[in-house]
Amino acid sequence: MKYSLYNLGLMLERLNQHHIRLVLVVLSLALFVLGAGAPADFGGH
Amino acid sequence: MCSGPARRRTLAVTESRRMILLLAVIAGSAAGAAKAWLGGRELSSPDLRLAWLVPVAFLPQWLAFFCPFSPQVPPNWAAAALVSSQVLLVLFAILNREQAGFWVLGIGLTMNILVIVLNGGLMPISPDTVMQLAPNASLDAWQIGQRLGTTKDIVLPDAATHLCWLADRFTLSVPKPHPWRVAFSLGDVLIAIGAFSLLWALGGEPSARKTSARVATHSF
Repeated sequence: MKYSLYNLGLMLERLNQHHIRLVLVVLSLALFVLGAGAPADFGGH
Repeated sequence: MCSGPARRRTLAVTESRRMILLLAVIAGSAAGAAKAWLGGRELSSPDLRLAWLVPVAFLPQWLAFFCPFSPQVPPNWAAAALVSSQVLLVLFAILNREQAGFWVLGIGLTMNILVIVLNGGLMPISPDTVMQLAPNASLDAWQIGQRLGTTKDIVLPDAATHLCWLADRFTLSVPKPHPWRVAFSLGDVLIAIGAFSLLWALGGEPSARKTSARVATHSF
């Protein structure tokens, strides 16, 4: 039981780290393109 | 400099959303996730060098273009914020040039910086393009030689624009019920392609074993 919980904890930790890293990569890229690009757009006309 | 009519008109800019490049990020994320799912793989997360540099570089732009008091930022401060921020982003792209897509992203960004710096620190947009973007707007919101609303653009006729082929000169219109018009540069196109390809690459490649197994299956 203790072993399974430990394994589950390890798995969740790995999943979380992976997902958090992935989210950070996508967020960084979103900020990068917002900063790098210079489009002028107008909505609702 | 390029030739072209230099008309002086004014019209109102009522809304600016700067969303077009985020569409490339959303589409690339969806495509990369679909590619990974179809291949039975997990999305990979690349090791980006100095990732903290991106929010640091973006901060001056957020203050100058995106936050509630951006309209009060003087144009020369906005120009300084844009150029300094983009120089840091180029540095980030160079540091991460081994990653898929960063070469294209970096070249697009460099093209944008080049035309921005040569034209006083903001992205030039011609009066004709402005009129295509907002044909029904009122007559007192923009002037040639002035910043266009709170955007990164400055209204300059082609004849007064250095490297006008790198300026915001391409337009895209989405019809009703969600009308939306956007002007973008060649650099913006490369940035969108680079972002998409980077996110597509997160979906991973089929392993050699799987590929050879598929080849073997097809050969029978």
